[in-house]
Amino acid sequence: MTEPVAGARKVVLPPHRVRAQRPLGTRAREWTRENLFPSPAQAVVTLLALAFATAIVALAVYLVLAAEWRVITVNRWLLFAGGFPQDQEWRLWVSVALVFPLIGAAFGLWASLGRRDLLFMALAAGFLFFLARHGDAGWASTVWVAGSLALFFAGYLVCRLVPREPGRARSIATWTAGGALALALPAVLAVLMAAGGARTNEFSGFMMNLILAPVGIAGGLLLAIPLAVGRASSLRAVSWTCTAYIELIRGAPLIGWLFVALFILEDVIAGDLIVRTMVVLAVFTSAYIAEYIRGGLQALPHGQTEAAQAVGLGRTRTLQLVVLPQALRISIPPIVGQAISLWKDTALISAILPLRELVGNSKAAIAQPEFIENRIEVYVFAAVLFWIVAFVMSRVSQRMERSLGIGER
Amino acid sequence: MTRKRWALAAATAMAVIALLAAACGGDGNGEEGGGTLQTVLDRGELKCGVTDSLPGFGFKDPNSVYSGFDIEFCKAIAAAVLGDAEQVQYVPASSQARFELLASGEVDILVRVTTITAQRDVSRGVDFAQTTFYDGQGFVVHADSDIRTAEDMAGTTICVAAGTTTEQNLDDFFNARGLAYTPLQGDWPDPQDQFLERRCDVLTSDKSGLAARISALPNPEDYRFLPLTISKEPLAPGVRDGDTRWKDVVNWVVYGLINAEELGVTRDNVAAMAADPPNAAVARLLGEPFKGSEVADLGFGVDAQFIQRALMAVGNYGDIYARTIEQLGITRAGTLNALYTEGGILYAPPYR
Repeated sequence: MTEPVAGARKVVLPPHRVRAQRPLGTRAREWTRENLFPSPAQAVVTLLALAFATAIVALAVYLVLAAEWRVITVNRWLLFAGGFPQDQEWRLWVSVALVFPLIGAAFGLWASLGRRDLLFMALAAGFLFFLARHGDAGWASTVWVAGSLALFFAGYLVCRLVPREPGRARSIATWTAGGALALALPAVLAVLMAAGGARTNEFSGFMMNLILAPVGIAGGLLLAIPLAVGRASSLRAVSWTCTAYIELIRGAPLIGWLFVALFILEDVIAGDLIVRTMVVLAVFTSAYIAEYIRGGLQALPHGQTEAAQAVGLGRTRTLQLVVLPQALRISIPPIVGQAISLWKDTALISAILPLRELVGNSKAAIAQPEFIENRIEVYVFAAVLFWIVAFVMSRVSQRMERSLGIGER
Repeated sequence: MTRKRWALAAATAMAVIALLAAACGGDGNGEEGGGTLQTVLDRGELKCGVTDSLPGFGFKDPNSVYSGFDIEFCKAIAAAVLGDAEQVQYVPASSQARFELLASGEVDILVRVTTITAQRDVSRGVDFAQTTFYDGQGFVVHADSDIRTAEDMAGTTICVAAGTTTEQNLDDFFNARGLAYTPLQGDWPDPQDQFLERRCDVLTSDKSGLAARISALPNPEDYRFLPLTISKEPLAPGVRDGDTRWKDVVNWVVYGLINAEELGVTRDNVAAMAADPPNAAVARLLGEPFKGSEVADLGFGVDAQFIQRALMAVGNYGDIYARTIEQLGITRAGTLNALYTEGGILYAPPYR
């Protein structure tokens, strides 16, 4: 039987079968070499990725097992509201209850929640509950967090009922939500300050970031539209002025303009430092957004304007009905990028101005003798808060892009 | 059409010029004839530029309540001028913008661990009042270290904050002695971490700051200070240049708190001493009549009992020190900040 049968063909196993017959150790080594270290350059990349992953895992292990979150729970008020009078806490929660359903409504009307958004929200809520459990936070704050999330979903679900197709119902819903969003900021400020509320110099902590960034973004957008149109104007005086404004503002870093808010604006517009800061943030943002909108204007085919004029629309109506809506739609991605950038730039304020937003108060928390060793916890917490808001902005923009068909039409 | 364009250009140019003029033509620090003292009295609140993140000198508790050595002096001045130590608005002043905050009138006074230097005094628009704390650069080693003197530090690695006067002092000190060393720079709190991980043998900074950081560690007895001070860091309140009335008040509140300690007036006994002054010096300091004599108005622009009010609010210099700096584990006896009668250099001119 040992003799091979005459005429029988030699069986050639396919390569993977040959390999499979070899010992497991050899196979593992080969897989590693082929997939992780095929060339010196790839080997370097693999090692770097490994080091990065190790660092992340180490940080995660530290945060879950060794971190002492008491510094956060003890300093909850300092980090979120700082010098805001504590007996006026209800004003903060009323503001949250005003804003959360509106954000939900915006999602419901102009976007939709995907599976990833839900996962992310579950993670964020889980992080907050985790902190509450680790510290001695009262049940009240947990209830508030859950309530705010519930309000967000209520706003979302109500607005999902509005039909997607253009029509009477949709336009009523859109205008109502848009109006409510525009009024949200003044309403929040009124809730915080009216009738015995906080003074502006008592604003600090995360609520200061949450107030300054929207003012900067909304104000910047409002200023940017006339600037962009002006820069494209055929009147030299107008276009030169707008260009000079944009180049001047963009030419200097935000940190420099914050000094301007502190020392020069004081003589031009009387008012609280926080008001001056709002003006500077809006002016700074407007220069960038104006350029993005100009990009949108230039991307429009000339035929659009010509067609509008051919059907008898005047210049203003052409701009209002044909040009701007399309230009703004094109510019949404970079505008949101700028908004996220400004959101994070609010952390610069404490470095220069005598105002204390989240990062400024984080440093104060670490300076407390008891918590000198807990700075990783504090900075991770601040980073997570910043990231949550930035992520929400990014998702809204992505969803809006999809529903407006940017890049497809 | 061209005329219209020119008109527009001209109008724009005029608007820009008007704006610039408004920006430059403002009245600088918004100060009326009466100076800072009058501004503070009119406002009813003292705006005190402080730090909010240095243990022992100025920091915030979880309820945003400020405390620390510098804060006590803000309270003392508010109590002296306004009669209420709580009428203070604490303005967190970054080290980059502190002098500009003062010059622009955003704060009335700077009590923010600021070292007097010639350059600051001459060109930063600040006038320094009496020094409240004499600091100096020192060194910390691990308790099991062999380093005991400056010479022992030859060839060692020293952790130091980057870009500070501390770094410069260190270099000068070692160069002058011809000793070699390896600096390991970083921003706070990195130097401390590197020292704790024994990546350097010695940690250097201002002694008060070092003591504050070491005392906050779980096992401060594992570290040892070298008996060495290599720089002068007199920390003093700053006021705006050229406002002598205000500087006088600030100065004499500080002098008053030091004199009170010398005279044995404390927060606990100031009320009793005011009712029945033991001697003429105490009576003068507290602004009370003594054996039928009149209370002299020295013309500070505030009433004669202003130092008494400061003492009621915060106590004398020793009381403040015990409540704040001593909590960091820095004992006072034998340091520069002891009274001159006890071997220090705290020496206040007589109040009369």
